[in-house]
Amino acid sequence: MTTRDISLVALMAAVIVALGVVPAIPLAGGVPITLQSMGVMLAGLVLGPRRGAAAVLVVIALVALGLPVLAGGRGGLAVFAGPTAGFLLGWVLAAFVTGFLAQVFEAPEKSTPVRTLQLTLAAIVGGIVVLYLCGILWLAFFMKMGLAKAFAVSIAFVPGDVAKAVVAALVTVQVRRAVAIERK
Amino acid sequence: MIAALARPGTSPLHRIAAAPKLAGLAIVATVLFFVDEPRLLAAAFAAALVVARSTGTRFAEIGRDLRGAAVVLAVLGLADWWLIDGPTAIAVVLRLAAIALFAHAVTMTTSTAELTEVLERIFGPAERLGLLDAARAALTVTLALRFVPLIVEEANAIREAQAARGLDASPLALAVPLMVRVIVRSEALADAIDARGFPPEGARRGAARHIPARPPSP
Amino acid sequence: MSDTSPERAGGATGAEPGTLSQTIVFSDASVVRSGRTVLDRISIGFEEPRVGIVGLNGSGKSTLLKCIIGLVAPSAGAITVDGRDAIRDARAVRRTTGFLFQDPDNQIVMPLVAEDLAFGLKNHGFSAAEIATRVAAALDRLAITHLRERRIHELSGGEKQLVALAGVLALEPRTVLFDEPTSHLDLKNRNRLRDVLQALPEQAIVVSHDLDLLADFPRVVMIEAGRVVRDGAAREVIARYREANR
Repeated sequence: MTTRDISLVALMAAVIVALGVVPAIPLAGGVPITLQSMGVMLAGLVLGPRRGAAAVLVVIALVALGLPVLAGGRGGLAVFAGPTAGFLLGWVLAAFVTGFLAQVFEAPEKSTPVRTLQLTLAAIVGGIVVLYLCGILWLAFFMKMGLAKAFAVSIAFVPGDVAKAVVAALVTVQVRRAVAIERK
Repeated sequence: MIAALARPGTSPLHRIAAAPKLAGLAIVATVLFFVDEPRLLAAAFAAALVVARSTGTRFAEIGRDLRGAAVVLAVLGLADWWLIDGPTAIAVVLRLAAIALFAHAVTMTTSTAELTEVLERIFGPAERLGLLDAARAALTVTLALRFVPLIVEEANAIREAQAARGLDASPLALAVPLMVRVIVRSEALADAIDARGFPPEGARRGAARHIPARPPSP
Repeated sequence: MSDTSPERAGGATGAEPGTLSQTIVFSDASVVRSGRTVLDRISIGFEEPRVGIVGLNGSGKSTLLKCIIGLVAPSAGAITVDGRDAIRDARAVRRTTGFLFQDPDNQIVMPLVAEDLAFGLKNHGFSAAEIATRVAAALDRLAITHLRERRIHELSGGEKQLVALAGVLALEPRTVLFDEPTSHLDLKNRNRLRDVLQALPEQAIVVSHDLDLLADFPRVVMIEAGRVVRDGAAREVIARYREANR
C-alpha cells in the first residue's frame, strides 16, 4: 500500500462512520434508513476490492477500540458477540466482492445508464448476496437459530438494501466523472 | 463528536491491563456459547450485571450505551420465540445479554490508547506472517481516529448547506460531494505524510521504494 | 539511499537567519502532467534565507515547492538540496527540509497535539527521550505549550496552523517550505504567522498570494505558466506582478 492508499482507506473508513451518524435520510417510500451499509458498497465500488475491504477493516477496528461508530451509536466489544456480528464481519467480504465485480462488470465505453446497472449488479451481489450469506450463517450457527429461521428474519431488510445498491451505483458514476480514481 | 465509550476510573477492572481483560472476555464468551441450561445462563447474566456495575457506571448509562444492542436482541428473542420456542428464546437472550454486558464492561474500563497498543502488538506477529505492514496498518487506524470527527462534521455541513438552499435531503446529494472531497483530500494528506518522513526508518520495506511514482499534482 | 541516519541539523533555535540556509538547485527541471507542462525547463538556485514565490493559480508554484522534497518527480532535469538529489535522497532531504501545507487539516495526522508533533520525529528514528525534549522545545518556541494535550479536532484554524508548524520545527530543519501559509487564517492569526515567520532562524521559501507577507524578502521569484519570468528584490518583483495582473 502506498501512502496515498493509506490516506484514502482511512478517509473512506471515516465516510462509512459519517454515513451511519448523520441523521437517517428517508428513502423512497418514506422509511428512514441509515446509509452505513451503502458506505460499505461505496468503499468497494469507488476504491476497489483491496482498498475497499481495508476501509471496512478499519471501521471494525474502531468498533473494537470502543468507539460508537456504527449506526445508532453502537460500538465496543459487545457488538462482536451479538446477533448482527455476522453482518458486521461480512462487510469486509462484501466490500471486496463488490469492488472485484465492479472491476469485472463495468465497461467504461458504455453509456451512463448501462454502467449504473453494471455497478448496481456488483453492489447487489457483493453488498447483499455475499453479506447476507455471512450474516445468516452467523445467526444460524453462532446464534443457534437454524438456517431457515435465520433466513426468514433477515430477508425483510433486502428491499432497503437493493435501494441502497442503486444509489451507491449512481453515486459512483458521478464521483468517477468528477475525479480520476482507479480501483485496486 | 464521537466520544469513546470508555470512562476513566479506578475500579478493579480499570486496574487490570487490556490484554488479560480481552483474553478473559474471549474465554467467558466461548464457555457461555456451549451452555444451554437456563438457570446457569441466568446466573451468568446476574454476574455480568454485577461486573458491569462494578466499573462505577450506573445502569441507566450502561443501558443507554447498549440501547442499539438491546433492540437487536429483543427482535432476535421474539423471532426465536415465534420460530422455535419460549425456553430457547429465553436462553438465547440471557446468553447474549450476559456476553454483551461482560464485553461492555471491558470496553468501559479500557481507554482507546490502551486498546490501540494491543492492536499494535497484534500487528507485529501479523507482519512477521506477511499479512500486513505494521507501521502502515497502525497509521491507517490512527488516521481514521483523527479524521472521523472531521468527516462527520463535513457530512453535516453538506446536509445543512443543501437544506439552506431548499433542497431535500437526498442520499445522492450527500454522498457525491462527500466522496469527491475525501478523494481530493487523500492526495494532499498523502503528500503531507510523505513530507513528514513516513514510512519510519527501518520499516519492513525500504524507504526508497515509497518515493511517490504517481503523477505530480498541480 | 545514501543517507538514512538522522543527521543533526544543528541547533536551530537561536541561530541567526541565513546561517542554516541550504542550496536548492533546479537544473533544467520540467514537470509534465497528462500532456500539460506544469514546470518548463526551470533552472534556478535558492540559497538566500528568505525567498518568496508569486504567481497566479495554476502557474506551477506549488509544484515547484513540492519538487524540492521529492513529492513531485521531474519528468526531465533534476533538483538537488545541498547536493542531494530530491528523488533519490528524498529521506535525507526531507530530514532537513520541512513543508508547511496550505490546509493544516491535511497536514496533522494524529488525534492529539503531542502525538502529532512526535510523528515526524518517530519516522526519522529519534529515541523516545529525544522526542519528548524536541516536542517540548517546539511547543515552547511557538508559545503553544498549553495546547500539548489537546485534541486536534477541538482547535481553531490558527491553532492548527501553529501545531502543524511546530510539527515541522520539531525536526529542527534547515529549510521550511511554506505553501500559502496564510490563506486559511483570519487577520489576527495571519499577523501572528507573519511574526513567527520573521523570527524564524530557518531558511524559508514562501509561496503566497499574500504579497505583504513577502514585502521585505531579499528575493522574490515570479512564476508564469511554469517558467520563471522575474527574479529580484521583493519591491521590484511584487510591483511588476501587481502591474501584470491589474
